[in-house]
Amino acid sequence: MIKKENQSVIGENTPRSDGFAKVTGKLEYPSDIHIPGMLYAAVLRSPYPHAEILSIDTSEAEAMGAVCLTYKDIKPIIYNERSVSVPSQTYRDRTILPNKARHVGEPIAAVAAETEELAFKAVKALKVEYKILEAVFDPEEAMKDGAPQLYDTIYLGDEAVKVHNNIGVIRNINEGDCDAGFAQADRIFERDFELGRIYHAQLETKNAVCKPEPDGTLTVWATAQSIHGTRQMLARALNMPLSKINVKKMPFGGAFGSSIQVNTVIPICAALALKARKPVKLGSSREEDFYSHNKYPAKFHVKIGVTNDGIFTAAHVKALIDFGAHQVQPLPLLGCMAGWFASLYKYSGNIRFDGTAVYTNKTPCCAMQGYGNPQINFAIESMVDIIAEEMNFSPVDLRLKNYRGIGDEFWGQGPTIRSIIKSCGVEESLVEGRKVFKYDEKIEPSKKTGVKRRGIGLARGFHCSGTGGPKEGEVIDYSSAMIKINEDGSVDLCTPVTDHGGGTLDALRKIVSETLKVPYDLVGLSPADTMNTGYDVCTHATRGVYCGGGAVLNVARKVKEMLLEVAGRLMDEHACDLELVLDEEAHQGRVQVPGYPQKSMTIGQIAKQAQNNSWGTISYIDSYRQKNCPPCFTTHFVEVEVDTETGIITVPRVLIYGDCGVAMNPDLVKGQLTGSFNRGFAYTVYEKLITDEKTGALKIKGLISDYKLPSTTEMPYVGNMQVELCHTYEPTGPYGAKGIGEAALASVQAAVANAVYNAIGIRFYKLPITPEVVLAALKEKEGASHS
Amino acid sequence: MNTVYLEKEYDYVKPKTLAEALEILETKKNVKIFAGGTDLIVKLKIGSPIEMDTMLDINGIEELKKVTSDKEGITIGAAEKISVLEKNEDIINRFPALYEAFISMASISLRNMATLIGNLCNASPGADTAGPVICYGGSLLIKNHAGERRIKAEDFFAEGGKTVLEPNEIVTSVNIPAPAENTGAAFIKLSRVKADLAKISVSVVLTRENNLVGSCRIAMGSVAGKPLFLKEIGDGLVGKTLTKELIIETAEKISKAIKPRDGGNRTTAAYRIETSKIISRDALEQAWERSGGKLS
Amino acid sequence: MSLHEITLKVNGKTHKLVVKSNELLLNVLRDRLYLTGTKYGCGLAECGACTILNGDRSIMSCLVPAVVADGWEITTSEGLADGDKLSPVQEEFINQGAIQCGFCTPGMVVTSTALLRENPDPDEDFIRNYLRGNYCRCTGYAAMIKAVQVAAQRMKEEKNE
Repeated sequence: MIKKENQSVIGENTPRSDGFAKVTGKLEYPSDIHIPGMLYAAVLRSPYPHAEILSIDTSEAEAMGAVCLTYKDIKPIIYNERSVSVPSQTYRDRTILPNKARHVGEPIAAVAAETEELAFKAVKALKVEYKILEAVFDPEEAMKDGAPQLYDTIYLGDEAVKVHNNIGVIRNINEGDCDAGFAQADRIFERDFELGRIYHAQLETKNAVCKPEPDGTLTVWATAQSIHGTRQMLARALNMPLSKINVKKMPFGGAFGSSIQVNTVIPICAALALKARKPVKLGSSREEDFYSHNKYPAKFHVKIGVTNDGIFTAAHVKALIDFGAHQVQPLPLLGCMAGWFASLYKYSGNIRFDGTAVYTNKTPCCAMQGYGNPQINFAIESMVDIIAEEMNFSPVDLRLKNYRGIGDEFWGQGPTIRSIIKSCGVEESLVEGRKVFKYDEKIEPSKKTGVKRRGIGLARGFHCSGTGGPKEGEVIDYSSAMIKINEDGSVDLCTPVTDHGGGTLDALRKIVSETLKVPYDLVGLSPADTMNTGYDVCTHATRGVYCGGGAVLNVARKVKEMLLEVAGRLMDEHACDLELVLDEEAHQGRVQVPGYPQKSMTIGQIAKQAQNNSWGTISYIDSYRQKNCPPCFTTHFVEVEVDTETGIITVPRVLIYGDCGVAMNPDLVKGQLTGSFNRGFAYTVYEKLITDEKTGALKIKGLISDYKLPSTTEMPYVGNMQVELCHTYEPTGPYGAKGIGEAALASVQAAVANAVYNAIGIRFYKLPITPEVVLAALKEKEGASHS
Repeated sequence: MNTVYLEKEYDYVKPKTLAEALEILETKKNVKIFAGGTDLIVKLKIGSPIEMDTMLDINGIEELKKVTSDKEGITIGAAEKISVLEKNEDIINRFPALYEAFISMASISLRNMATLIGNLCNASPGADTAGPVICYGGSLLIKNHAGERRIKAEDFFAEGGKTVLEPNEIVTSVNIPAPAENTGAAFIKLSRVKADLAKISVSVVLTRENNLVGSCRIAMGSVAGKPLFLKEIGDGLVGKTLTKELIIETAEKISKAIKPRDGGNRTTAAYRIETSKIISRDALEQAWERSGGKLS
Repeated sequence: MSLHEITLKVNGKTHKLVVKSNELLLNVLRDRLYLTGTKYGCGLAECGACTILNGDRSIMSCLVPAVVADGWEITTSEGLADGDKLSPVQEEFINQGAIQCGFCTPGMVVTSTALLRENPDPDEDFIRNYLRGNYCRCTGYAAMIKAVQVAAQRMKEEKNE
């Protein structure tokens, strides 16, 4: 037998386990589920931004053979579709179907029929009597006295709460003494920034299939980032025991945060299935999906004080968020935004965040890759460049002077979840990146000539790896895992953690493989659902590997203990005198006696013997909460080229640094960094959702042809995209790993905007920076310089 | 709007001969032609008001797939796919502006379905092929059951996405005459991303006689209610020597001649006016250089 | 509304179906033939998730009435492999890490297959242009371009052997 010392699949690029299914089109996504006899559902959506529903006449639709669902069919249980925060910190304002429409596209009623075609016809046959109310779309308008009110009363935890001036949440956070800090500053900088609403544009639209089982349970297949969150919400809203609802873990076609909450199609589908007593499938068209969820827009006023030595003495951010018609959930969002802002730099310990989140008659907003981080990062990282230029500092050195790194406190998910930073690639990325990208040689914009002008920009960012922390806070965070050793030495891993495509599940398999010394290909992934797994809050907040993997590691270690104990009994040795190694030749894990390796048994032999002895299955199930939320860092160096005659911005060259600690799947980590660059570039230069204030509808009406996104031809050439992973090791992470998912997006926007500034000497404070905006600004600058 | 499935109900017919097709057009009401479907099906899905009781698929009519090249020019049948046309050596060599318009359109998969005549008949003011066909002096052969007529491309379009076609007529082919010696042509398009409709586009086809402009045809897309043939401005260059100065002057003239609107979600009128100068200048320069001329 | 008897050859298997004149090819493939590899992403041929091959040509099936496809020789992502043996394009998508959520993958792989049939020696510009109508929100495309390049190289070498 051959023992390999440092055999480890961790950090190796391995073919993804679902690759075969994905390239052959055989993988079933929620929109592919087909159950014989299932009905097809369709939703009637409000054409008005604000209207009371006086009556819904379903007689014609029912005469067609459709099963109909209106607010009258469902107990008006008020819930919040996002179950991540503790209940006392969760606002509730939703019912499965409302008796008041609060945004264009809000589901009002639904039907299920034998064919999709019939369902569409039946929806059209529903007759709704609306009382149209005045609507409001601008958050500042919405807060004024006399503005149309979306709500009178909502709930926070169990308390009824009155809504005043459409304000959903006010959250003000203070640390240190900002007044003193600003007083100490030699210079104070203040600017306003604005980012508009955009859309997740995940490729699979929201889908659900629900089947009432003969045993009285309900099975659910859906586009969901949290199977347990979905189960809990359905149980609450449908007034059913949790044990009667089974949500299956599924792959899905992208989410970027849009399936953290239980999207409306799921409870509607479930309610229809229960009423029809048949399986029901409810999909979404792309135009419907545009109205299902958007990314939080933000308006910021940022004030930073700086000494002549380049130390930030204090910082104050005022944020105004328009989150649409339902809270999903701006309360933790504001806390998180404060945290992302606070954690970027030390600010001498003096920070103030004033956040206001306002109801408007628009699509509800939810997290999108960063939960407020890309938004606030754009503002702060632009400010750092502004400060650097005005005070004659190098933007790199100014960041190095002020950043929060090892030993500093990091707010993982708002003020109640914090831990100390124990691994950090910021310095490596800035010090190396400035050399590789020749950043310090950049030429100031006034010296640029020619029609096409190039500029380089830099920004840094991060995200939490999960929302664990030493103290429990307002966010629930733990994960569960089950591992069992099979009688041939293969292993079953059952985890409720979902994989959005980043390879999370393969990372978890690698953790099992490494801990139990089982060959990677013998670690199997069990189908998981809410009945056969312990709770996992959600695959969000970049917690899949760090928290989901942390739970897997914890359980794997316990299974290893149990395995060695059983082995000890079989081999007449103490468990602590045995070691576990990978036997390449036998393609098995092997327990052997150090010093006398001839005395050994493979894991398969141990498990088989345990079976023959009727000793039981070697397995363990447990939950686990991480006590840290270590930041994963990114730094972006971007070169843009701006055509000053057409305003078109292209990106010839990009250098990206990602610090994810140890990379479980390096190629997939780099893939996330690359993909996030594409999304961040789109956010900065292309995407916007504007509401037509006359109708309340999107100006693009949900047409994807009017929501153009950069494709292959808009990206830098492959050879000009350099992605590097920092050399860090997170001591609290499974085998040194942290996350990367949301960090990958955080700093892209500012890096691009800073590069544009370097190219043409115009700073943009509002996204997107479209060619029309750029050209207008260039013309204005030209005009100003001539006069 | 329903992008998941087609709500409209209609009869589908696929005649085997042109005569059959013309008969259907004559006898049935509300007939719409299906060539590639890339405009028709999209419009049906997004709920554009389309009167259609019969969908007439012309892909079974062999003679409409013919592409014939000779020294007089090229004749392109109504049913030939753009992706085939863009590989046609004659088009690439003799009609490069049309080739450039083809490859600027959407994506290869859509071009595998779409047709040149379909693009023209859809008559969007931004139709990518309209400018080159107009500037090359192309004409459309239109037939009905009784006879035929030939229309110059610049006379084919009407405001607001309409054409001069009668309900019982069909365009069977486009003919583009062979370019004279020393012809230079250019097509430039600005769009949000490459696979996209035009924010604005310009086509120029000119001929050079020694160092004078022999003829010049300029057309612009997405700046008016239909593809815009700038006849006077093009004619105004005849007999002149093209210099950088004259080109800039002409581009300036063009930007003042057009009255574009805000392009909904795509762009703004101001952007169109501003960039019309740039792309006209570049297209005139390119066309002149490709005709063998030198710019001073 | 008219009904039509059509013949579709899909992944080598012949299907005789009766379709309504307004049934779309995408929906017939997915809901009647249960070939769910081809996806609905937008319904307007913007995203390419519905891409299939007719012969060697990539086509967006969401815009094709099924009756128009009568007689077509269709290949979907389910039909690219030879049993368990993946095509070079499919294998390189896996090897190069060009797959994340995987929803765009069937369309991408089909379009890439058409690309290499049309041009076995594509440069990066050719690949970028060919794939520009297939939209991926996850990967940023770089690994896919690499996958096509490596697959092209492999196929050239296999041909020379």
